[in-house]
Amino acid sequence: MQRIVPAQPRASVELRDTPFFPQDAYQCGPAALATVLSESGVGVTPAELVPGVYLPDRQGSLQLELIAASRRYERLPYVLPPTADALFAELEAGRPVLILQNLGIRLLPRWHYAVVVGYENLEGRFVLRSGTTKRRLQSAPQFMKTWGRSGFWAMVTLEPGVLPAVPDEAEYLRAAAGMEAAGETRAALAAYAAARSAWPDSLIALLGLGNTHYIDGDLETAEANYRAVLAADPLHAVALNNLAQVLADRGCYGEASATIEQALAAAGEDSAFASSLRETRATIEARLDDESRQVADCSP
Amino acid sequence: MRKMFAKRFVVFNLALSLCALGVTHPQVHAGIIDTGMVLEQRDREHQVARIQSMLAEHAVHSRLVSLGVDPLLASERVARLTDAELLLLEERMDELPAGGDSLLAIIGVVFVVLLILELVGVTDIFKKI
Repeated sequence: MQRIVPAQPRASVELRDTPFFPQDAYQCGPAALATVLSESGVGVTPAELVPGVYLPDRQGSLQLELIAASRRYERLPYVLPPTADALFAELEAGRPVLILQNLGIRLLPRWHYAVVVGYENLEGRFVLRSGTTKRRLQSAPQFMKTWGRSGFWAMVTLEPGVLPAVPDEAEYLRAAAGMEAAGETRAALAAYAAARSAWPDSLIALLGLGNTHYIDGDLETAEANYRAVLAADPLHAVALNNLAQVLADRGCYGEASATIEQALAAAGEDSAFASSLRETRATIEARLDDESRQVADCSP
Repeated sequence: MRKMFAKRFVVFNLALSLCALGVTHPQVHAGIIDTGMVLEQRDREHQVARIQSMLAEHAVHSRLVSLGVDPLLASERVARLTDAELLLLEERMDELPAGGDSLLAIIGVVFVVLLILELVGVTDIFKKI
């Protein structure tokens, strides 16, 4: 149950240098996103963001599209845990927070994006960059109520390799995987490296490094990463699959074939990835056929 | 047998129409199982998953266009979303909030109700933002 006011007395904080972009009609999304992106070092204006996030007939922007748009600028969009504490932690770390609030009521909502830049503890008020107001002051109860209607949705845009103030492993890895999927390899590599330092036992972070190197065309490092995963978990079917693919790409069809068979054996018939594994095997067999059964081995 | 043929026919046609739309997804990297797939425990090579993804891309693209987004732009926007985000949008786009301060047309009784709510501090609609 969310408290109306923050859980513990908080010191005043205000990120006064946060840029201010007075919004145009219905375009609080682009304005708010431009604010947090600019603060994290990206030179972007709301106008540049409009084509990517504005929905004309809904006169607004969807949260998912704000998230997707951030990735283009090599910033990790990270959705905070839905608590006032997480919001304060970001402010104290020097990062303004993009929030969604409903300034209307549930039946007649008026959804609005704003950026929290501070808190005045004497008056018990939040300071927001909001609409055409550089410093909109909202009482804590009012803020928590309107923000609460969005499920306490809040996000920050992180520079590559920077962890959020309250890092959640699953959420951070999801964010890193989002960068990987978007092809933002430099940022993804930095994100996975940061994940490795925060959660050294995470095989997913290590796998992510391998996958991102693969996408980048760096097969050698990808292979090393996959082998590192397998050193920790020799029956890791996904790592075996991806290693098999790398070996095939290198022309080491003999090893590739053996590796994918290991993957299939490790995964079992009803594995979630049975289709991908079979697809990889088919690829390897096809290439083997092409090479007229020349089983190339790449022993060192 | 017929069912499989029908399914392949649908997939083939979808693929054609998606190509015509110019929807390209950067994340389909032949061969490797990417990290997103692992986190979602969702195999993109699986027949059902593949069809679901195509349908979602198509549906979200159409919806964006119907909401006034230029079709080429819509393709770019769709391409930026992850698989999971696409599936979520396909399912719930119309109910998800679109932040934009749009004031719905308020008339008569509704206006009075809102005014009262505003005065007792429940809403924040009429303050200058």
